[in-house]
Amino acid sequence: MLTVSKLNSGYGKLKVLYDLSIDVPDKGLTVVVGPNGAGKTTLLCSIMNIANVFSGEIILEGTSIIGEQTHNLAQRGISYVPQMGNVFAELTVMDNLHMAGYMLSKSEANIKADQMTEIFPVLKNFIHRLAGTLSGGERRMLAIAMGLMKNPKLMLLDELSTDLAPIIAERVMMEVARMRNELGITILMVEQMAKRALEIGDTAYLLVSGEVKYFGKAEALLHEPELCSMYLGIKESASKDKDFELSVSDEGSEDN
Amino acid sequence: MAPWLSSGLIYASGLALTAGSITLLYIVTRTFNFAVASMATIGFYVVYTGVTLYGGLPYRYYPLVFIIGAITGLICYYGLNRHLLNRKAAEITLMMSTLGYDLVLLSLIQMYADFLTYNYKLFPRRVTMSLFDFELFGDRAAAFILPLIAIGFLTILHIFLTKTKFGVAMRATIENPVLASASGINSDRVYLVSWIISGGMAALGGSFMAMAMTGTPVMGMYTIPLMFAGAILGGLGSIYGGILGGMVIGLTEYAGVYLLAQRFGPWVLGYRMGIPLFIMAATLLVFPRGLSGIPLAKIIKSLVGQKRGDSA
Repeated sequence: MLTVSKLNSGYGKLKVLYDLSIDVPDKGLTVVVGPNGAGKTTLLCSIMNIANVFSGEIILEGTSIIGEQTHNLAQRGISYVPQMGNVFAELTVMDNLHMAGYMLSKSEANIKADQMTEIFPVLKNFIHRLAGTLSGGERRMLAIAMGLMKNPKLMLLDELSTDLAPIIAERVMMEVARMRNELGITILMVEQMAKRALEIGDTAYLLVSGEVKYFGKAEALLHEPELCSMYLGIKESASKDKDFELSVSDEGSEDN
Repeated sequence: MAPWLSSGLIYASGLALTAGSITLLYIVTRTFNFAVASMATIGFYVVYTGVTLYGGLPYRYYPLVFIIGAITGLICYYGLNRHLLNRKAAEITLMMSTLGYDLVLLSLIQMYADFLTYNYKLFPRRVTMSLFDFELFGDRAAAFILPLIAIGFLTILHIFLTKTKFGVAMRATIENPVLASASGINSDRVYLVSWIISGGMAALGGSFMAMAMTGTPVMGMYTIPLMFAGAILGGLGSIYGGILGGMVIGLTEYAGVYLLAQRFGPWVLGYRMGIPLFIMAATLLVFPRGLSGIPLAKIIKSLVGQKRGDSA
């Protein structure tokens, strides 16, 4: 679906990514993890033409998208959910959904908005409230719903779990897995909550200081104790932690 | 109606539109538009040309004023602002570019004034536009009509921003340009429409102001401090705040000078501009975010609570 090769990019004259190459397979969940400042968000911003690309290639379904304007990328089926500022706080939830589906006709946007409130029932109660008044978890659900509004081929998710209570973050992760499993959407997810992201992901990239340190099966990265402890802060054994995560997951589904 | 009030209402209606125009452009494109001065003057000359060459009341030329103002905004966007925004120019660069555009417009206005003098034997360098007005309820019609036109225009603008898809997209772009682009909204189109509306508002505001003051080729340059004072008083964060700020600045200038001249004599007239600027400074000291930062809901709530407490 998406291939990034030998990408050098950053902001202004500052270079953040160095010869970065990644491949995002169709209908898969690709996870990018790494410490703070590794360039994870810059990777997504480079794809969306928000960061400056100095050299390299970004290919979407066989066509280069380098230099393509951000709104055109959205129209080509890429949906970007930023880490911060991912909803329009001064618009109502309904207006947020309609803006996310800006290129749809009014009737299509209405149908899609109804679908979103079915997928995320929590939004139904707040449909005419300003998005700025929602809690962190509700905002994140709205942001994902906004990402889904335009029937995306590819979703770029930037650290969805940031600042969320663990139980809410787990619920968000379950929604991401559901989007891949049930809706068949290709997802490129950048995540700080590395362990849980690697558990639900298909392939993983470990990014450190703008370079790829690991590429392979997502769950296999959890069995690399040196990389996990040095770059991801995961010190306990993977299997032990997995039991803990599953128990959190169960609580999350009960709460739902 | 007292003369200061009728003139004040006319002048404040115009100033409200120009301050709203400055605020709109600033919140959408981060550009302080100095060219608003000449855009306002162009508005006056469109009406002047209309009434002197083709006859009729000034009011019939306002749609044309808006269109020509919009064209000056469009030229500024495509000629300057767009290229600078694409290159992520600093705010100071954006601002100075509009100053350059203003000087170009000012030169064209001067040439146009000479053109009217040499070709039509007119005297366009000192014009009293109120002579072309008619009387309504024993007062100048502009005192009733212009505030109504201003309110009507703002109502249409409000409906556009809140009820239309493009208007909501404009608000979305104002709040979060990155997310708006990622949602598929073409920010280039939003900026263009902002310049068109802003240019139209500035020209319309200038044509209103000329009904209360002497129309000259430099009338925009003379009043631009007050246009910015209105925008700053409004807080620069809300179009409605800017419009309210312009209205307050305009009315306080006329009311202040009237009251002070009665008390201290006509020498006060020379310092008339200082009155609204003093009020702006005093307001900002108390409410640093300007009029749009005044917690009106909180004040009303506490007043209602106090009243209930008194009655109990």
